[in-house]
Amino acid sequence: MNAFTLIAKKERRALLQNQRGLAWLLAYTGILSAFALLLISNRELSLLDNAQVVYMMAGTVTAAGALIAVIMGADAYAGERERGTLVPLLTAPISTGELLMGKAAGLASAWGIMYLLAIPYLWAVGAGGQNLGQAIFYLGLFGTPVVLGFGYLAMALSARSGSVMYSLMTSLIVLLFSASPLLIGPGLRNSAIGKVLDAVNPFSGALNTYDAVIIDSDPLMSQLGRLALVLIWLGLMFAVARLSARRPVFR
Amino acid sequence: MLIDANHLALTLDGNTILKDVSLHMKKGDIYGLLGPNGAGKSTTIALLLGLYSPDKGQLQRFSEQDTDIVAIRQRIGVMPEFAGFYEWMSAREYLVWYAGFYGGLQAQPDSLLERVGLSRTGSKPIVQFSRGMKQRLALARSLVHAPELLILDEPTNGLDPRGRREIHDLLIELAKKEQVCILLCTHLLDDVERLCTRVGIIDDGRTVLEDDLEHLLRDSGKPRYRLHMTDTPEGHPLPPLVRLLERDDAWWTLEIDLHRGMTIGKIWEDLLNHGWSFDEIHIESNTLEARYLELTGTKKPVQQEKAA
Repeated sequence: MNAFTLIAKKERRALLQNQRGLAWLLAYTGILSAFALLLISNRELSLLDNAQVVYMMAGTVTAAGALIAVIMGADAYAGERERGTLVPLLTAPISTGELLMGKAAGLASAWGIMYLLAIPYLWAVGAGGQNLGQAIFYLGLFGTPVVLGFGYLAMALSARSGSVMYSLMTSLIVLLFSASPLLIGPGLRNSAIGKVLDAVNPFSGALNTYDAVIIDSDPLMSQLGRLALVLIWLGLMFAVARLSARRPVFR
Repeated sequence: MLIDANHLALTLDGNTILKDVSLHMKKGDIYGLLGPNGAGKSTTIALLLGLYSPDKGQLQRFSEQDTDIVAIRQRIGVMPEFAGFYEWMSAREYLVWYAGFYGGLQAQPDSLLERVGLSRTGSKPIVQFSRGMKQRLALARSLVHAPELLILDEPTNGLDPRGRREIHDLLIELAKKEQVCILLCTHLLDDVERLCTRVGIIDDGRTVLEDDLEHLLRDSGKPRYRLHMTDTPEGHPLPPLVRLLERDDAWWTLEIDLHRGMTIGKIWEDLLNHGWSFDEIHIESNTLEARYLELTGTKKPVQQEKAA
């Protein structure tokens, strides 16, 4: 088994066997459960229609996934350093590239687990609706690059910073900033700055696509620009992580 | 020569960490790397492991050019000062997993655990291990691939006296029987005197001493005496074979050169004849500690203090 596989396997097991990893998954499913309950009760009161409920659930899954990815990314190097497990990895006969790829693959498999866990929730809120399948497909297509991009950003900061706290806080600020167009309300969102933020922001890109394809039933072809945006985001963040992890801070 | 490092220098983020470090180790050596905190020992180890590249100097590991650092690390086992593990794994599981980086375990995990004194703990989760047990497991981890060079940073931290002795015996066995070269980084000079064949002392980023321990202890300067002076004649120099190392009120530390057929009795007589008088004499043994303190500036010779 090569070094990349060994690290990826360890990362996946750490999520599923370690108390910390299980706590993160529990927090994730807790967020989804609370939102699903809220959305179902609103739908039953006819305050929201089926498509809107599915759209909001897909957005919640993306946001919660990005949050967990940021926590995992921030822990990837800095957390290992704080627990004294990074030095044995850095002194083992593996390249920094293999280490990063293993950790990146671990993060990707964590998102895979979160994605699978999200499907029953989407089904619960959107059962009977015609856009459920599209929601699951577009969550995979747009949610994956957004979530992993945030995770790789946190990983890059984690490799170069001395503490989990620093990399976590910085990544969370970026995540919050990315979500800001959604938080500032429709009025400000239509302002010039709001529009620019909306156009370049991968998080907005994914949510606007969910809106377009789930609520308005737009075709995939109309979303190619946004797809390019989220893929560029993913590629850019992975490149930043790769650069940072070339010479990680090890003590 | 297994490690041939000459005049290494390294600057990190604008700080010059190493100025002139040299290190020479061969198979079967147990090399004690000593120095005060912040002297550059850990950075020297990081250089050996290829975590940094020196700005200046020549570094040769295993008589090969340092082009493939991954291949070099295949031959090195490391036990860092702070032993961290994935504590949700069992000891056996962890060793098998970690050995995967080296192409698999060279021995059965249980025999390796037994070798470091952790028999019957293989299936126990590491989270239940005491600090001493984790130290032993860290040593086992460094041995998973039967390395040619073993780098140990404070390996006996947290061990009880029996455990310390067991680890000492294991290290001696590794060096003598398996010809493993061991770099021991420690502040415990007793451990160095007991285990090491060679010693290197680093102070302020420079190698201030590198020698065989036996040679160092045999020839580490002249005998030293602490005298309580009751009368010291003003302006009168000490006899030529006597050197003042330190003065603390009436307590004078003297280094006396007895290599020219002189006896200590004649020296005392000479001092008394010149008007010096004293009522107490203490002999300071020629230990590694004395040499270390002298070289690392903790007890600087009087002349150096004046110069500073």
